[in-house]
Amino acid sequence: MIKDIVWIYYYASLILITFMSIYGIAVRPNLLKKIIMLSILSDTANMLAVLLGYHILSPKPPVYPGGTFSTTQFPSQEQLSTFAKYAVDPIPQVLVVTAIVIGLAVLVFLSFVAVLIYRRYGTLDMRVVSKKARHEVK
Amino acid sequence: MEKRLICLGVCITVTAFILAFALIYTGIVPLAPTGNRPLATIFLESTFNAEKWWIWAGSPEVVTSILWDYRGIDTVYETTVFFLAIIGAITVVRTMKLLPETSGKGRGLTVIAKTITKITFATIPIIAFSIAVHGHLTPGGGFQAGSAFAVAPLLVIAALSLRLLVERGWGKERLLALRTTGLILIGIIAIIVPILAILRHSIAYIMQNQAKLWAPAGLSAVVDLLGVKSLLSGTLFWLNLSEFLAVSAGLSLVFVLLAAPTKNFDKEVKTQ
Repeated sequence: MIKDIVWIYYYASLILITFMSIYGIAVRPNLLKKIIMLSILSDTANMLAVLLGYHILSPKPPVYPGGTFSTTQFPSQEQLSTFAKYAVDPIPQVLVVTAIVIGLAVLVFLSFVAVLIYRRYGTLDMRVVSKKARHEVK
Repeated sequence: MEKRLICLGVCITVTAFILAFALIYTGIVPLAPTGNRPLATIFLESTFNAEKWWIWAGSPEVVTSILWDYRGIDTVYETTVFFLAIIGAITVVRTMKLLPETSGKGRGLTVIAKTITKITFATIPIIAFSIAVHGHLTPGGGFQAGSAFAVAPLLVIAALSLRLLVERGWGKERLLALRTTGLILIGIIAIIVPILAILRHSIAYIMQNQAKLWAPAGLSAVVDLLGVKSLLSGTLFWLNLSEFLAVSAGLSLVFVLLAAPTKNFDKEVKTQ
């Protein structure tokens, strides 16, 4: 029962952070806060993916131990079965590796855009920026 | 206003707990699982299994194998997305001068901080290179090594100066050239096995690593390197190195651009 509560707590806290970051993206007028919340959102998604790949049976990293450049003897089927039993799920980790780099690229691009907007309008408040931009178009 | 925020907070928390409860008890997410899913077990068992040579990747590192072998094309496109994001960032500041007008000599952090930065500037690239080279053997790889490497120029910008970095050859053009070289190398490695297959009158897939039953071309996992038999896992080693080059140069370029003085940036925006 306590185990159930702990796992509900894990998922609930991740979902809670997701909601909070979506609130921040949607409601906060400051562009910088929107970007921070976006990065928190992507990190939460990554955390959720890694949690889905976890298991509690003495988890090991998904790397067959003892591999070096001089390894020429490959493990047998039995050794690999034991390894597969204790290693965690590698697929979420793969997705997270790519997602982190993509998230970094998006973050960089957004921060460049934010710097440009600040230089152009003198503020990062999106209400003021949209008002000024509308004024310019007219 | 206060009341509204408190109400919102309570609502969100309750919804989160209800959703978590629902996710677990409808079986969508596992509750304290004691084993892997079948797909994970297949990957974990077949990646380094020389007996099943037609589906193995020849590497003890399952994550790198999936990243560059089983899902290789996905990663190539993902690298392209990263490249395009950096190109987009450069387009915004394309004619900007990086260097400030004054050198800022004699100012900055203390001698201790500068000396430590000089030492770490030498050691961080070595560690990053080691992570990249061992990417197919231990946890790590091109992405992680590149991200670790990019800390070195960032430290130099913070503790010494941007001018020093740019004058020592870390300019915009050179970093972009390195970044592009990395991407081109990945492209070449992606088609090297099909080219070998065409020369041997057989077939192979793009981004293929090891030989398959129906496509018997591939780079061998153990390569004779200067008389020493080395486990290079076919294309994985070279892909990790190229990715290390691409990511480290790309991230360094981004940090250099972001650290450019605001005066030059103002001029750039006004001319646009």
